[in-house]
Amino acid sequence: MIPWLLEGLQCLLTLLLAPGLIGFVRLLKARLQGRRGAPLVQPYRDLAKLLDKERVVSTQASWIFHAAPFVVFASTLVASLLIPLVAAPLPFDRVGDLIVVVYLLLLGSFFLALAGLDTASPFGGMGASREMTIAALAEPTIALAIFGMGAGAGSTNLGEIVARTLAHPGSTLGSGHLMAFAALFIVMLAECGRLPVDNPATHLELTMIHEAMILEYSGPYLALVEWAAQMKFFLFLALLSNLVCPWGVAVALRPGTLGLAVAALVLKLAVLAAGIAVLETRLAKLRLFRVPELLGVSFLLALLAITSSFLVR
Amino acid sequence: MTLASSLVLLSGIAVLWRHSLAAYIRAFARQSFLIVVAMVLVAAQTGDERLYLVAALVFLIKVVLIPNVLQRVQRHVGADLEIHPYVNTPASLVITGALTLLSYGVALPVTALGSLPTRGGIPLALATVFVGLFILVSRKSALSQIIGFLILENGIALLAVLATFGVPLIVELGVFLDVLLGVLVMQVFVYRIRETFDTVDVDRLKKLRH
Repeated sequence: MIPWLLEGLQCLLTLLLAPGLIGFVRLLKARLQGRRGAPLVQPYRDLAKLLDKERVVSTQASWIFHAAPFVVFASTLVASLLIPLVAAPLPFDRVGDLIVVVYLLLLGSFFLALAGLDTASPFGGMGASREMTIAALAEPTIALAIFGMGAGAGSTNLGEIVARTLAHPGSTLGSGHLMAFAALFIVMLAECGRLPVDNPATHLELTMIHEAMILEYSGPYLALVEWAAQMKFFLFLALLSNLVCPWGVAVALRPGTLGLAVAALVLKLAVLAAGIAVLETRLAKLRLFRVPELLGVSFLLALLAITSSFLVR
Repeated sequence: MTLASSLVLLSGIAVLWRHSLAAYIRAFARQSFLIVVAMVLVAAQTGDERLYLVAALVFLIKVVLIPNVLQRVQRHVGADLEIHPYVNTPASLVITGALTLLSYGVALPVTALGSLPTRGGIPLALATVFVGLFILVSRKSALSQIIGFLILENGIALLAVLATFGVPLIVELGVFLDVLLGVLVMQVFVYRIRETFDTVDVDRLKKLRH
């Protein structure tokens, strides 16, 4: 019974902390750039405001347009059940591993792209085609990096990787693991529409990717899509931090360890988010045509990760 | 140790995806510094004092001296971008991946036979040699070719340290002198090329001036 409650807790944490994480990154970026910035709770207010508004749907829209927000939201929420956020062996580990998590998140992007195409607005089509280009380029990297991580720990099961890393940190945390981390980090920036690939703060039509795709959404639908995007960012960061630095994740179930696990999760996310804020302040957006080069680098990193963990034992 | 070697390889690869020559020089300095780190680690493991001396010399020559010389050349010549290499960036990266796999394949018998604690880094050092060679043949600017040569040399130095815990001091000194003089001579060459042809793009050297 208790393990299932844990899953519920993970879901709840994802739902509640994700907007806060985005707010934290925005606040930190604002401070670094010498602005005062919106308060930490601003994303929550935005979501509440959007949920309260009416929704306007084009008369041309088909059922895909109505279904997409729910698919995106649900698939992201399901992914949160599989990632060891606070506790390592989860009951849902039997259902799926790292591969399922990544493709659940990609399923969301796929439906968003479909919805972008659905209303036949030029921006939606442009955003969808860009998003799919980036997803297609990121895809091989993700697969290779997963196997690189899995080869180090002997399994692609997330709970297994975390438990193995906690038990033998020396053998799993080699250079291969770290390179896979770097590769996944770059992919995370691309998939979540962060700075060198997409600028989350702009609405300039020539540069936007994610924004262009969801331009037609309004009201509660937009809230769902935005919330799902925030949860995706949250999950990617949690995944990255717990794969490389799993200390703090509760292996044994006692109330004390669980509290510690939540605190450790928040701390790790804060560190990663601060890193991203600094990175985004220092970097300019890449030209769209240079994005393949960046993803090429991450592909190479993943390839090196997998060779170094397979061929050198 | 393996981590240091993979970082050495990565800073070699950084050259392939950046475009500015200043970044190339910085990447080379970083790579040399990582080699110093690897040398110190090996020296600490084997307790060999001469290796510390070699590491200090590497630091002096490759981290301080040569990057400074190159920076001066670059400022003087005024070339700051490697714009159109023979092989474009994504293709270079894929080729580098293939080269790394190749060096793993070549080094497989060595790593399987050896019982050295440093054997994990040997394929990476070999891959650095290949990457240096690749930069040497795929880039147009004379300066990036010098960088490619130096990265190749770094790979050989790393390989020597990892595979044999350092060659005798006199050989090491000879190599340093060689590299230093080589860079100085090449610097003169770059100046001459620049004066004669008004560019450091070696592709243009195929044509006679008049």
